[in-house]
Amino acid sequence: MGKILKLGFVLMIFCIVSAGALAYVYIFTQPKIELNGKKAFENSLTSVLPDAKSFNVIKIGSKEAYQGLSGKDIVGTVFFASPRGYSSNINMLVGIDSNAKVSGIKIVSQNETPGLGTNTTKKSFLDQFLGKMAGDQIEAKKDIDAITGATISSRAVCRGVREALNDFEKNKKVKQ
Amino acid sequence: MTLWKDFNQGLIKENPVLRLMIGLCPTLAVSNTVINALGMSAATAFVIICSNIVVALLRKIVPDEIRIPIFIIIISTFVTIADYIMQAFTPDLHHALGVFIPLIVVNCIILGRAEAFAYKNPVLNSALDGIGMSLGFALALGSIAVVREFLGAGSILGVTLYNPAFAATIMVLPPGAFITIGFLMAFLNKMEKKVQ
Repeated sequence: MGKILKLGFVLMIFCIVSAGALAYVYIFTQPKIELNGKKAFENSLTSVLPDAKSFNVIKIGSKEAYQGLSGKDIVGTVFFASPRGYSSNINMLVGIDSNAKVSGIKIVSQNETPGLGTNTTKKSFLDQFLGKMAGDQIEAKKDIDAITGATISSRAVCRGVREALNDFEKNKKVKQ
Repeated sequence: MTLWKDFNQGLIKENPVLRLMIGLCPTLAVSNTVINALGMSAATAFVIICSNIVVALLRKIVPDEIRIPIFIIIISTFVTIADYIMQAFTPDLHHALGVFIPLIVVNCIILGRAEAFAYKNPVLNSALDGIGMSLGFALALGSIAVVREFLGAGSILGVTLYNPAFAATIMVLPPGAFITIGFLMAFLNKMEKKVQ
Protein backbone atom coordinates (compact mmCIF):
# COMPACT_ATOMS: atom_id res chain seq x y z
CA MET A 1 0.00 0.00 0.00
CA GLY A 2 2.70 2.45 1.03
CA LYS A 3 4.63 1.66 -2.13
CA ILE A 4 1.66 2.41 -4.38
CA LEU A 5 1.13 5.76 -2.68
CA LYS A 6 4.80 6.60 -3.09
CA LEU A 7 4.79 5.74 -6.79
CA GLY A 8 1.57 7.66 -7.32
CA PHE A 9 3.07 10.65 -5.57
CA VAL A 10 6.19 10.58 -7.78
CA LEU A 11 4.04 10.35 -10.90
CA MET A 12 1.95 13.28 -9.67
CA ILE A 13 5.05 15.43 -9.15
CA PHE A 14 6.15 14.70 -12.74
CA CYS A 15 2.70 15.60 -14.07
CA ILE A 16 2.63 18.88 -12.13
CA VAL A 17 6.07 19.93 -13.37
CA SER A 18 5.14 18.99 -16.93
CA ALA A 19 1.83 20.87 -16.76
CA GLY A 20 3.63 23.93 -15.40
CA ALA A 21 6.18 23.87 -18.22
CA LEU A 22 3.42 23.51 -20.82
CA ALA A 23 1.39 26.34 -19.31
CA TYR A 24 4.42 28.59 -19.52
CA VAL A 25 5.08 27.77 -23.19
CA TYR A 26 1.36 28.13 -23.95
CA ILE A 27 1.14 31.63 -22.48
CA PHE A 28 4.28 32.59 -24.36
CA THR A 29 3.21 31.26 -27.79
CA GLN A 30 -0.59 31.59 -27.80
CA PRO A 31 -0.90 35.27 -28.83
CA LYS A 32 1.48 34.61 -31.71
CA ILE A 33 -0.46 31.52 -32.83
CA GLU A 34 -3.78 33.40 -32.79
CA LEU A 35 -2.24 36.27 -34.72
CA ASN A 36 -0.87 33.83 -37.33
CA GLY A 37 -4.28 32.24 -37.76
CA LYS A 38 -6.01 35.60 -38.17
CA LYS A 39 -3.36 36.89 -40.55
CA ALA A 40 -3.48 33.72 -42.65
CA PHE A 41 -7.26 33.96 -42.90
CA GLU A 42 -7.21 37.65 -43.87
CA ASN A 43 -4.52 36.94 -46.45
CA SER A 44 -6.64 34.23 -48.02
CA LEU A 45 -9.66 36.57 -48.11
CA THR A 46 -7.59 39.24 -49.85
CA SER A 47 -6.13 36.70 -52.28
CA VAL A 48 -9.59 35.85 -53.64
CA LEU A 49 -10.86 39.43 -53.67
CA PRO A 50 -7.79 41.58 -54.37
CA ASP A 51 -9.70 44.88 -54.54
CA ALA A 52 -10.92 44.71 -50.95
CA LYS A 53 -9.09 46.55 -48.20
CA SER A 54 -11.16 45.29 -45.28
CA PHE A 55 -13.87 42.73 -44.63
CA ASN A 56 -17.25 42.61 -42.89
CA VAL A 57 -18.91 39.42 -41.75
CA ILE A 58 -22.45 39.03 -43.12
CA LYS A 59 -25.01 36.25 -42.67
CA ILE A 60 -26.66 34.40 -45.53
CA GLY A 61 -29.15 31.99 -44.06
CA SER A 62 -27.12 30.03 -41.57
CA LYS A 63 -23.82 30.58 -43.37
CA GLU A 64 -21.29 33.33 -42.95
CA ALA A 65 -19.83 35.30 -45.82
CA TYR A 66 -17.33 38.12 -45.92
CA GLN A 67 -18.21 41.40 -47.59
CA GLY A 68 -15.14 43.10 -49.06
CA LEU A 69 -14.92 46.86 -48.63
CA SER A 70 -12.64 49.43 -50.18
CA GLY A 71 -13.28 52.63 -48.29
CA LYS A 72 -17.09 52.73 -48.21
CA ASP A 73 -17.72 50.85 -51.46
CA ILE A 74 -18.65 47.20 -51.50
CA VAL A 75 -16.27 45.60 -53.98
CA GLY A 76 -17.51 42.03 -53.67
CA THR A 77 -18.19 39.15 -51.34
CA VAL A 78 -16.20 36.10 -50.32
CA PHE A 79 -18.17 32.89 -49.85
CA PHE A 80 -17.14 29.75 -48.05
CA ALA A 81 -17.90 26.33 -49.52
CA SER A 82 -16.99 22.86 -48.34
CA PRO A 83 -17.82 20.29 -51.02
CA ARG A 84 -17.06 16.62 -50.41
CA GLY A 85 -14.02 15.56 -52.44
CA TYR A 86 -12.46 12.13 -52.85
CA SER A 87 -11.12 11.63 -49.33
CA SER A 88 -11.97 14.84 -47.50
CA ASN A 89 -14.06 17.96 -47.50
CA ILE A 90 -12.41 20.60 -49.66
CA ASN A 91 -12.74 23.84 -47.72
CA MET A 92 -12.56 26.71 -50.13
CA LEU A 93 -13.10 30.46 -50.35
CA VAL A 94 -14.67 31.89 -53.49
CA GLY A 95 -14.48 35.63 -54.12
CA ILE A 96 -17.20 37.20 -56.27
CA ASP A 97 -16.67 40.80 -57.37
CA SER A 98 -19.20 43.59 -57.92
CA ASN A 99 -19.71 42.47 -61.54
CA ALA A 100 -21.00 39.13 -60.18
CA LYS A 101 -17.93 37.36 -61.60
CA VAL A 102 -15.62 34.97 -59.77
CA SER A 103 -12.54 36.99 -58.84
CA GLY A 104 -10.53 34.28 -57.12
CA ILE A 105 -10.59 30.89 -55.46
CA LYS A 106 -8.49 29.62 -52.65
CA ILE A 107 -8.51 26.13 -51.17
CA VAL A 108 -8.03 26.70 -47.48
CA SER A 109 -7.68 23.09 -46.41
CA GLN A 110 -8.16 19.66 -47.92
CA ASN A 111 -6.91 16.16 -47.45
CA GLU A 112 -7.02 14.75 -50.97
CA THR A 113 -4.58 12.22 -52.42
CA PRO A 114 -1.09 13.80 -52.47
CA GLY A 115 0.15 14.29 -56.03
CA LEU A 116 -3.30 13.83 -57.57
CA GLY A 117 -6.21 15.45 -55.73
CA THR A 118 -3.92 18.03 -54.15
CA ASN A 119 -3.22 19.38 -57.65
CA THR A 120 -6.67 20.99 -57.49
CA THR A 121 -5.09 23.63 -55.25
CA LYS A 122 -2.82 24.71 -58.12
CA LYS A 123 -3.23 28.09 -59.74
CA SER A 124 -3.42 26.69 -63.29
CA PHE A 125 -6.49 24.66 -62.33
CA LEU A 126 -8.23 27.30 -60.22
CA ASP A 127 -7.65 30.11 -62.73
CA GLN A 128 -10.09 28.37 -65.09
CA PHE A 129 -12.92 29.55 -62.85
CA LEU A 130 -12.05 33.24 -63.04
CA GLY A 131 -14.81 35.34 -64.61
CA LYS A 132 -17.48 32.64 -64.25
CA MET A 133 -20.96 33.89 -63.33
CA ALA A 134 -24.09 32.38 -61.83
CA GLY A 135 -25.90 30.47 -64.57
CA ASP A 136 -22.68 29.60 -66.42
CA GLN A 137 -22.08 25.92 -67.04
CA ILE A 138 -19.36 24.83 -64.63
CA GLU A 139 -18.75 21.14 -65.03
CA ALA A 140 -15.44 19.28 -64.83
CA LYS A 141 -14.27 17.62 -68.07
CA LYS A 142 -16.79 19.72 -70.07
CA ASP A 143 -16.27 23.36 -69.23
CA ILE A 144 -13.30 22.97 -66.91
CA ASP A 145 -10.23 20.83 -67.63
CA ALA A 146 -10.13 18.31 -64.78
CA ILE A 147 -6.88 17.26 -63.11
CA THR A 148 -5.72 13.94 -64.57
CA GLY A 149 -6.35 11.15 -62.08
CA ALA A 150 -8.42 13.41 -59.84
CA THR A 151 -11.81 13.71 -61.52
CA ILE A 152 -13.70 13.44 -58.25
CA SER A 153 -11.69 16.19 -56.57
CA SER A 154 -12.03 18.38 -59.69
CA ARG A 155 -15.80 17.87 -59.72
CA ALA A 156 -15.97 18.77 -56.04
CA VAL A 157 -14.22 22.08 -56.66
CA CYS A 158 -16.72 22.82 -59.49
CA ARG A 159 -19.56 22.04 -57.11
CA GLY A 160 -18.05 24.39 -54.54
CA VAL A 161 -17.89 27.24 -57.05
CA ARG A 162 -21.48 26.62 -58.14
CA GLU A 163 -22.56 26.61 -54.50
CA ALA A 164 -20.85 29.95 -53.88
CA LEU A 165 -22.47 31.49 -56.97
CA ASN A 166 -25.86 30.22 -55.76
CA ASP A 167 -25.28 31.78 -52.36
CA PHE A 168 -24.37 35.00 -54.14
CA GLU A 169 -27.66 34.96 -56.09
CA LYS A 170 -29.63 34.21 -52.93
CA ASN A 171 -27.95 37.09 -51.15
CA LYS A 172 -28.77 39.43 -54.05
CA LYS A 173 -32.45 38.49 -53.93
CA VAL A 174 -32.63 39.11 -50.19
CA LYS A 175 -31.31 42.62 -50.71
CA GLN A 176 -33.76 43.57 -53.50
CA MET B 1 36.39 7.33 -27.10
CA THR B 2 33.06 5.94 -25.87
CA LEU B 3 31.62 9.44 -26.28
CA TRP B 4 32.51 9.36 -29.96
CA LYS B 5 31.05 5.88 -30.25
CA ASP B 6 27.80 6.96 -28.56
CA PHE B 7 27.50 9.80 -31.02
CA ASN B 8 28.58 7.83 -34.04
CA GLN B 9 26.54 4.67 -33.81
CA GLY B 10 23.20 6.31 -34.63
CA LEU B 11 24.47 7.61 -37.94
CA ILE B 12 25.00 4.47 -40.01
CA LYS B 13 25.76 1.45 -37.84
CA GLU B 14 22.55 1.69 -35.81
CA ASN B 15 20.68 4.07 -38.06
CA PRO B 16 17.19 4.05 -36.52
CA VAL B 17 15.27 3.91 -39.79
CA LEU B 18 17.50 1.95 -42.14
CA ARG B 19 19.15 -0.49 -39.69
CA LEU B 20 16.95 -0.78 -36.59
CA MET B 21 13.81 -0.21 -38.70
CA ILE B 22 12.04 1.81 -36.04
CA GLY B 23 10.20 5.09 -36.49
CA LEU B 24 8.93 4.02 -39.91
CA CYS B 25 5.51 5.65 -39.54
CA PRO B 26 6.67 9.29 -39.75
CA THR B 27 9.32 8.23 -42.26
CA LEU B 28 6.71 6.89 -44.67
CA ALA B 29 4.36 9.78 -44.13
CA VAL B 30 6.49 12.90 -44.40
CA SER B 31 9.35 11.88 -46.69
CA ASN B 32 7.45 12.97 -49.82
CA THR B 33 9.21 16.35 -50.00
CA VAL B 34 12.63 17.42 -48.73
CA ILE B 35 11.23 20.42 -46.82
CA ASN B 36 8.78 18.21 -44.90
CA ALA B 37 11.54 15.71 -44.14
CA LEU B 38 13.85 18.43 -42.78
CA GLY B 39 11.08 20.00 -40.67
CA MET B 40 10.14 16.62 -39.24
CA SER B 41 13.79 15.78 -38.54
CA ALA B 42 14.29 19.08 -36.71
CA ALA B 43 11.19 18.60 -34.54
CA THR B 44 12.11 15.00 -33.77
CA ALA B 45 15.73 15.95 -33.00
CA PHE B 46 14.53 18.55 -30.48
CA VAL B 47 12.37 15.95 -28.75
CA ILE B 48 14.98 13.14 -28.76
CA ILE B 49 17.81 15.32 -27.46
CA CYS B 50 15.73 17.03 -24.75
CA SER B 51 14.06 13.83 -23.58
CA ASN B 52 17.38 11.95 -23.53
CA ILE B 53 18.96 14.69 -21.40
CA VAL B 54 16.04 14.89 -18.95
CA VAL B 55 15.72 11.11 -18.64
CA ALA B 56 19.48 10.80 -17.99
CA LEU B 57 19.33 13.58 -15.40
CA LEU B 58 16.45 11.96 -13.53
CA ARG B 59 17.52 8.33 -13.99
CA LYS B 60 18.46 7.95 -10.30
CA ILE B 61 15.13 9.31 -8.93
CA VAL B 62 12.73 7.64 -11.36
CA PRO B 63 11.37 4.46 -9.71
CA ASP B 64 11.86 1.42 -11.91
CA GLU B 65 8.19 0.34 -11.79
CA ILE B 66 6.77 3.53 -13.28
CA ARG B 67 9.62 4.51 -15.57
CA ILE B 68 7.60 4.04 -18.79
CA PRO B 69 4.72 6.39 -17.82
CA ILE B 70 7.29 8.93 -16.67
CA PHE B 71 9.21 8.69 -19.96
CA ILE B 72 5.96 9.22 -21.81
CA ILE B 73 5.10 12.30 -19.73
CA ILE B 74 8.56 13.75 -20.43
CA ILE B 75 8.39 12.97 -24.16
CA SER B 76 4.85 14.27 -24.64
CA THR B 77 5.73 17.48 -22.79
CA PHE B 78 8.55 18.16 -25.25
CA VAL B 79 6.39 17.20 -28.24
CA THR B 80 3.69 19.66 -27.16
CA ILE B 81 6.31 22.37 -26.65
CA ALA B 82 7.67 21.70 -30.16
CA ASP B 83 4.11 21.75 -31.51
CA TYR B 84 3.35 25.17 -29.94
CA ILE B 85 6.66 26.66 -31.05
CA MET B 86 6.24 25.48 -34.65
CA GLN B 87 2.67 26.75 -34.71
CA ALA B 88 3.86 30.15 -33.52
CA PHE B 89 7.02 30.60 -35.59
CA THR B 90 6.76 28.33 -38.65
CA PRO B 91 3.01 28.09 -39.33
CA ASP B 92 3.46 26.94 -42.95
CA LEU B 93 5.70 24.04 -42.00
CA HIS B 94 3.37 23.17 -39.14
CA HIS B 95 0.49 23.12 -41.59
CA ALA B 96 2.38 20.84 -43.99
CA LEU B 97 3.36 18.32 -41.30
CA GLY B 98 -0.08 18.40 -39.70
CA VAL B 99 -0.95 15.48 -37.48
CA PHE B 100 2.55 14.00 -37.65
CA ILE B 101 3.88 16.52 -35.14
CA PRO B 102 1.69 15.33 -32.25
CA LEU B 103 2.42 11.80 -33.47
CA ILE B 104 6.12 12.27 -32.61
CA VAL B 105 4.98 11.11 -29.15
CA VAL B 106 4.57 7.58 -30.45
CA ASN B 107 7.78 7.58 -32.49
CA CYS B 108 9.45 4.53 -31.03
CA ILE B 109 12.95 5.91 -31.63
CA ILE B 110 12.42 8.35 -28.77
CA LEU B 111 10.98 5.97 -26.19
CA GLY B 112 13.47 3.35 -27.39
CA ARG B 113 16.47 5.63 -26.74
CA ALA B 114 15.07 6.74 -23.35
CA GLU B 115 14.62 3.14 -22.25
CA ALA B 116 17.66 1.52 -23.85
CA PHE B 117 20.23 4.28 -23.47
CA ALA B 118 19.40 7.42 -21.48
CA TYR B 119 18.03 5.52 -18.46
CA LYS B 120 21.39 3.74 -18.03
CA ASN B 121 23.95 6.34 -19.08
CA PRO B 122 25.24 9.74 -17.90
CA VAL B 123 23.88 13.01 -19.26
CA LEU B 124 26.68 13.81 -21.72
CA ASN B 125 26.61 10.35 -23.32
CA SER B 126 22.83 10.49 -23.55
CA ALA B 127 22.88 13.91 -25.16
CA LEU B 128 25.42 12.70 -27.74
CA ASP B 129 23.39 9.56 -28.34
CA GLY B 130 20.35 11.78 -28.93
CA ILE B 131 22.24 14.00 -31.37
CA GLY B 132 23.64 10.99 -33.24
CA MET B 133 20.25 9.28 -33.45
CA SER B 134 18.54 12.45 -34.68
CA LEU B 135 21.23 12.96 -37.30
CA GLY B 136 20.79 9.35 -38.38
CA PHE B 137 17.02 9.89 -38.57
CA ALA B 138 17.52 13.11 -40.55
CA LEU B 139 19.99 11.39 -42.88
CA ALA B 140 17.58 8.54 -43.61
CA LEU B 141 14.54 10.80 -43.95
CA GLY B 142 16.47 13.30 -46.08
CA SER B 143 17.85 10.74 -48.50
CA ILE B 144 14.46 9.06 -48.91
CA ALA B 145 12.85 12.46 -49.49
CA VAL B 146 15.44 13.52 -52.09
CA VAL B 147 14.77 10.37 -54.11
CA ARG B 148 10.99 10.61 -53.76
CA GLU B 149 10.69 14.31 -54.52
CA PHE B 150 13.07 14.05 -57.49
CA LEU B 151 11.38 11.03 -59.08
CA GLY B 152 7.84 11.81 -57.98
CA ALA B 153 7.50 15.56 -58.40
CA GLY B 154 10.48 16.47 -60.57
CA SER B 155 11.89 18.89 -58.03
CA ILE B 156 14.17 19.16 -55.02
CA LEU B 157 13.38 21.57 -52.18
CA GLY B 158 10.51 22.84 -54.34
CA VAL B 159 12.85 23.85 -57.20
CA THR B 160 11.57 22.23 -60.39
CA LEU B 161 14.35 20.34 -62.17
CA TYR B 162 12.45 18.79 -65.07
CA ASN B 163 8.93 18.82 -66.43
CA PRO B 164 6.75 17.30 -63.65
CA ALA B 165 4.60 15.66 -66.36
CA PHE B 166 7.39 13.07 -66.70
CA ALA B 167 7.52 12.41 -62.95
CA ALA B 168 6.30 9.10 -61.54
CA THR B 169 3.51 10.18 -59.18
CA ILE B 170 3.65 6.82 -57.40
CA MET B 171 6.91 7.95 -55.78
CA VAL B 172 5.23 10.67 -53.70
CA LEU B 173 2.44 8.28 -52.71
CA PRO B 174 2.93 5.69 -49.91
CA PRO B 175 4.20 2.88 -52.20
CA GLY B 176 7.06 5.16 -53.29
CA ALA B 177 8.20 5.37 -49.67
CA PHE B 178 8.29 1.59 -49.29
CA ILE B 179 10.15 1.14 -52.58
CA THR B 180 12.74 3.81 -51.70
CA ILE B 181 13.29 2.50 -48.17
CA GLY B 182 13.72 -1.03 -49.55
CA PHE B 183 16.38 0.04 -52.03
CA LEU B 184 18.23 2.15 -49.45
CA MET B 185 18.29 -0.75 -46.97
CA ALA B 186 19.54 -3.13 -49.65
CA PHE B 187 22.26 -0.64 -50.58
CA LEU B 188 23.39 -0.29 -46.94
CA ASN B 189 23.45 -4.08 -46.46
CA LYS B 190 25.53 -4.49 -49.62
CA MET B 191 27.98 -1.82 -48.44
CA GLU B 192 28.27 -3.55 -45.07
CA LYS B 193 29.13 -6.87 -46.71
CA LYS B 194 31.78 -5.19 -48.84
CA VAL B 195 33.37 -3.54 -45.79
CA GLN B 196 33.54 -6.88 -44.01
